[in-house]
Amino acid sequence: MTLEDVKRTDSGRALMLANEAIVRGALESDVKVVAAYPGSPTSEILDTFSELLDHFGDYRMQIAANEKVALETVAGASMAGFRSLTSMKSVGMNVASDSMFSLGYTGVNGGCVVIMADDPHAHSSQSEQDGRYFGEAAYVPMLEPSTPQEAKEMVKWAFEVSERHKTLVIIRTTTRVNHQRGMIQLEELNRTEFKKKQWKDVREQYFTVGAVARRLKAKLLEKRDNLREESERSIHNHIDAAKGDIGIITAGVSYLHTKEALRNLGLNLPILKIGTLFPLPEKRIAGFLRTLKTLIVIEELAPYLEDRITAIAKDANSDLRIVGKRSGHFSEMLEYNVPIVEKVLAEVTDKKPSHDYDAVLERASRLKETLPQRNPIFCPGCPHRGTLWAFRQALDRLKIRDKIVFNNDIGCYSMAFLPPNEFSDSMLAMGASVGLSAGMEMTLEDKIIAMVGDSTLYHAALPGIINLIHHNANVTLFVLDNSVTAMTGQQFNPNSPKDAGGHPAQKIDMEKMFEAMGADSVTVIDPYETRDCINPVKDAIEAEGFNVIISRRACALYGDRIKKEEGQKIIPSENDKETCRGIYACIKEFYCPAIVVDESDGKMVIQQDLCDGCLECRKVCPVDAPHHIQVER
Amino acid sequence: MKDSYDIIFAGVGGQGLMLLSAILGKAAVDADMEVLTGEQHGLSQRQGSIYVHFRMGKPISPLIPYGTADMMIAMEATEALRYIEYLRDDGVIIMSNRIMPPPGETEEVALDEERKTKYVTVEAIEKKLREITENIVLLDSLTLAKEAGNPRTENSVLIGAVCSCKDFPIETESVRKAVLDLVPPKTRDANSRAFDLGRDAGGECLG
Repeated sequence: MTLEDVKRTDSGRALMLANEAIVRGALESDVKVVAAYPGSPTSEILDTFSELLDHFGDYRMQIAANEKVALETVAGASMAGFRSLTSMKSVGMNVASDSMFSLGYTGVNGGCVVIMADDPHAHSSQSEQDGRYFGEAAYVPMLEPSTPQEAKEMVKWAFEVSERHKTLVIIRTTTRVNHQRGMIQLEELNRTEFKKKQWKDVREQYFTVGAVARRLKAKLLEKRDNLREESERSIHNHIDAAKGDIGIITAGVSYLHTKEALRNLGLNLPILKIGTLFPLPEKRIAGFLRTLKTLIVIEELAPYLEDRITAIAKDANSDLRIVGKRSGHFSEMLEYNVPIVEKVLAEVTDKKPSHDYDAVLERASRLKETLPQRNPIFCPGCPHRGTLWAFRQALDRLKIRDKIVFNNDIGCYSMAFLPPNEFSDSMLAMGASVGLSAGMEMTLEDKIIAMVGDSTLYHAALPGIINLIHHNANVTLFVLDNSVTAMTGQQFNPNSPKDAGGHPAQKIDMEKMFEAMGADSVTVIDPYETRDCINPVKDAIEAEGFNVIISRRACALYGDRIKKEEGQKIIPSENDKETCRGIYACIKEFYCPAIVVDESDGKMVIQQDLCDGCLECRKVCPVDAPHHIQVER
Repeated sequence: MKDSYDIIFAGVGGQGLMLLSAILGKAAVDADMEVLTGEQHGLSQRQGSIYVHFRMGKPISPLIPYGTADMMIAMEATEALRYIEYLRDDGVIIMSNRIMPPPGETEEVALDEERKTKYVTVEAIEKKLREITENIVLLDSLTLAKEAGNPRTENSVLIGAVCSCKDFPIETESVRKAVLDLVPPKTRDANSRAFDLGRDAGGECLG
């Protein structure tokens, strides 16, 4: 498997996910400190480093409470002279960026690399944020690879550039690069021993304010100019030469779609492939533009390259026709693919696309007209299903479903906005539920309810909670404590007694923390005792002040993994059709994917290969029909 | 002539699609072929719709262009239809007859007091797929897996059927070796039998 390939010490070839290739590149660069908070599409970087921690034993790693702490951790290690790396999704960079901008000014010491992934199409993010502007805005160099091989090479180069110019370096990826698996050429691993240093041997000042900041800014501009020269020389910007006056500038995964689209069309156009998003190789771009009458700019999301190239073209080739987003040929929405690129290339060159892609899509959508939707859903055995069910029951009993505001947050439980719950009023960003609650509590007569998971609690909700308590807010907070950062693959967090590599860590005592902060009440419920949760939830919603409900039960996927490791069996459930009266409490507003209906008698049936045996469905059944199957002991 | 042999994998989260993709990836690499995939990771919940773009030969983009995949491997029948825009006309579909109804559909079936609302059937799915291709291998993968001695060897049944496809570019024995290398050691015999049962069943369908 690929983890074995990441461990290899030889220089052979291997099939790797780009996220694994990034880890391999860092290991080949003798990285010494890693810190990260998980976030799709980068989570496998953290997971791979974590799984290899004890195998190598020569780097240090922490799963950080959030991306800002992760960046500061690796920057601290860099200031101590160590090569260090962090990875985050671009919304994570929003959190980390406060320190990132200052680090632009202060610079770093040991090579310090940040992997930042955008998510065009918002596959697993709250927006299609374009993170490319961060580099330019903070004067921090930014690179963008297209393939796993290039991702690995860029990581290695990024460490060198970082050390040569004493600057942070960001490598920007997109989902289609992170989750692309391809062949890579390994290089030898020459790891060195981890050995602490002394501050006196590496000491520099990393301090920026007022007059110091102004002095650093002048130096920063010099640094930017030097980096521009680096960019002009870089092999990561290259021209695929061809004859003709129609040319293409592209970067990232769009380069791959472009190459395949050209092949499909039997075309050979000159391409300038950009690998250094900031600083751009402006002289090379100008030289390329001078050879053209028409330029096609192919990039997902915002017209980042297009606008900068347009500015360069003003002096280099003012008659140049630029085909891109501003000309209406390409969209700023969603991710691209070969058909999208091929259609524009065909139009500009007066050719016909190799396939009638629109007809294929139309036929498919006609065939799919009656296909049932498969929305994301809580797993069988998920504790959130029980918590949300009890929450709704409590609101019904209090007859206040239309007299509350429910501020949701980021995690698996975000799915409360999907069927069967469909009752979230907001969901913005990590920890935002508590901040929004402050403003709403001040201005609305309704009861304000916020919900966070344990990982989100420690990531970004704490300042908002302290703010609510400090202002005597009348808010009910649900904390869904499922032991781990579930959505991204069940990583450890400050709520875990473990850290990267399974190493022991201090678990934060959640109840004590809330009590110390001054919460009016803290009630712990078990969502597997679903019916029993209704009254405590009712009480917490009715009570005045800041009241906390901790719904505690391990994520089902994590819990199953632990059970497996301990040799325990998962005993599925079945429905007792004699007892079942077809009330469908287990179906309406519950939506367990293990549950189906027998069309012959209308009774509920549990698909035992999917069932997790949680028996939450028994707890919501008025006649207790579901029960564990009999197993031979 | 195409420069790549492209497979679209479809299924439901938790069915082991990633292992299936890893097995074919290993088989292809061991046979000295270039491989490029576009995978869907991320939200780790079970029971969602998932896919993998799996490309061998000389692909450039990680995503298969619409209407050009040579093969579809579907571990769940409705998911075959969900990604049908990727398959070329007359491409091969290797699919399980398993259907995992989403809860929204179950709710509609359960709450219809006249009992007229029925689940989507494999027959209805197959009929639609036949508008694109007649080369369909529809497998009762669970029954075959049980016959092989382990209900959890459905993936090997499907991979066996893949090898019955004449223009599939990897040698059958290389694929079998990759299967046996990557499944848990205790299940090797059952997986090998499941592989054979799938290959035989596929051979009958494709002639």
